[in-house]
Amino acid sequence: MNGMPEPVLDVQGLSIDYEVGAGTFHALSDVSVQLSPGRVVGIVGETGSGKSTLAHAIPRLLREPPARIRSGRIFFQGVNVLELPKWKLPLLRGTGIGMIFQEPINSLNPAYRVFDQVAEAVTIRKLRESGVAPTLFPSAEPHDYSRGTRVKTGEAILHAVVPRVPNWLPSARREALMKDVLDYLRLVRINDPETILDLYPHELSGGMRQRIMIAIALSGKPSLLIADEPTSALDITIQAQVLTLMKELMDEVRTSILFISHDLGVIAEMADDVGVLYAGHLVELGPVDEVYTNPRHPYTKLLMRAIPNRYKRAGPLPALTGSVPSLANVPPGCPFHPRCPLAQKICGSDPGPVLEAATGASVRTHLAACYFSDEVASLP
Amino acid sequence: MANKAGPGQKRLETRVEASKRWVVGLREPLRGFLRVLRANHLTMVGFVLVVIISMTALVVAIVPAMTQLVIGHPVLVTPYDPNGLSTDYGQAPSGSHLLGTDNLGRDMFSRVLAALPLDLAIGFGITAFALLVGGGLGLVAGYWDRPRTFGGVVSVSILRIADIFLAFPPLVLALAIAASLGRGTGPAILAVLVTWWPYYVRLTRGEVLAIKHQPFVVAARAAGVSEVRILFRHVIRNLIEPLLVYYTMDIGTVLVTFSTISFVGIGAPLDVPEWGTMVESYARFLQSLPWTVLSAGGAIFLTVLAFSLFGDGLRDILDPRSRRALVQVTLSSTLAPKAAVAAEA
Repeated sequence: MNGMPEPVLDVQGLSIDYEVGAGTFHALSDVSVQLSPGRVVGIVGETGSGKSTLAHAIPRLLREPPARIRSGRIFFQGVNVLELPKWKLPLLRGTGIGMIFQEPINSLNPAYRVFDQVAEAVTIRKLRESGVAPTLFPSAEPHDYSRGTRVKTGEAILHAVVPRVPNWLPSARREALMKDVLDYLRLVRINDPETILDLYPHELSGGMRQRIMIAIALSGKPSLLIADEPTSALDITIQAQVLTLMKELMDEVRTSILFISHDLGVIAEMADDVGVLYAGHLVELGPVDEVYTNPRHPYTKLLMRAIPNRYKRAGPLPALTGSVPSLANVPPGCPFHPRCPLAQKICGSDPGPVLEAATGASVRTHLAACYFSDEVASLP
Repeated sequence: MANKAGPGQKRLETRVEASKRWVVGLREPLRGFLRVLRANHLTMVGFVLVVIISMTALVVAIVPAMTQLVIGHPVLVTPYDPNGLSTDYGQAPSGSHLLGTDNLGRDMFSRVLAALPLDLAIGFGITAFALLVGGGLGLVAGYWDRPRTFGGVVSVSILRIADIFLAFPPLVLALAIAASLGRGTGPAILAVLVTWWPYYVRLTRGEVLAIKHQPFVVAARAAGVSEVRILFRHVIRNLIEPLLVYYTMDIGTVLVTFSTISFVGIGAPLDVPEWGTMVESYARFLQSLPWTVLSAGGAIFLTVLAFSLFGDGLRDILDPRSRRALVQVTLSSTLAPKAAVAAEA
């Protein structure tokens, strides 16, 4: 990497609590992550480790009251998202930060056809691009999203000569957005987008819905895409299809992606760097292959060991002893120490070395929030 | 190149073309509507009855008023004057008196028909008022309900005021208000009006709360849609269907409530043709002149039934899920259209 590119996203020491009747839940404690342009960072963690909280906190989608951002800063393209006034938040989303959700079934409005769903996102971007609506972050332009459709010379001349259909007619509006909508549907490998334009979400399969969600997210041309477990709700074959699609899209659409999953395999496939979340703490951060082949945090090491291997059939699958701590009382010090085979006295009081969010070139460094990282390799 | 017409000509052509496409766009939902009617016989019955009843009410109400304006005196649509006394009292239904005559010789068919516009207007009007006021307040109470904000205070106030009204059984409250205002059509309408809106507050608020936490609302927010647009495009759009269904079914309920107030003797005065009042005044003749009570009661029954059947079917028509399901059931034998192929992925 030449020089130090300005990170797209810079999360610094983010701590988030949920305050509910039963008490305070520390969903995230002092999490720092950085994303350089064009990189894919995976966040992996168990259920309740704070993955989704992180995903929702970045575009400020958390509901606050229950959630409370205790400390930290989230810089998106140099702007601290946490200091933005409420009315500016919609401007941040869509064209700045795009999002793909876990459940494509519920994330599409059942009352609208596919066309209208995609058209809404396209309209928002167009309004912002043309300056009709205010914009906070100009969308990242360098990518040519159009795929398959080429404007013929004859058509171009015709468009120049024929005056536009009045804009207030619904059909005219449809016409104006049609090209973009079809382009984005083709982008997500829907082969005959014309045939599904007038279908309702419930008439589509799960994979199809998730493709449309991806098309909606991409049609804002965001410079940061957050994928919050985009494949968890899909069955395994559709999962593979969607992952292949996303992998292909990553090459075509060079946005930065924060990819969140509980599936170590999926992260290995998709991400450049990976962060491991445990009970709201980021315990390890580094390049995927480094972290996977040579984990430096005992939790990661033990987690890797628990992945079933079809070539080894020796006895029962090793599991981690103990259980994940409740977020209402995360153990003091290192959150993993009660379950850790390497735990020493210091682990009960000191959360371990701070994961300094590494910038630019040094993002490739491999960090673990553990004082005994060097001994991790000796674990069985 | 081939077209050498002026730009004005072109613009006109594209406009005509666009409006044609617009008409075509309207045709499709209309077809869906008709398909549901054809597939569901009870809905069809309800729909036809609602259309007939509404049309008749319009004619009965408008023709006398128009003729009054044009030729100076009203021309009645009803075969006889609904309040005209005659010596043919107590006659059973026959060719000249379709529903017989009452104890004073008034034609029952004319009386039932003359009461139709008033009763229907009361049903539609009171329910519409409740829908607008209650629905609006419910929307506010449901959407801006975050505690410890201005919206939260407003929301709680609306709900507590509605609760005061909901604490009484609706009929008892309406009767109490009507009784305290004295006999008359106006006071009775006012009584039902005051009683009815809180139910819509409750219904709307519940629906709004359910919708606004749906993942698709969060997804829309994540796509950069502004709060106002979310309210209209995503929340209200999904509210229309349950509210409209409830509204249609409720028309009958309001009608029955109003008739009950009249039946108790504190609603419409005796000289105003109104079904509830008629049932009350003819109740004494149930044994001797049964057609008098039965025709007034039957009119209420038929109207309420029509709106209930139609309202029930309206759910199928408005919900894209069930509409498509029905359409696909009717089409599956002939051909599986491209929809089914596309849905495969």
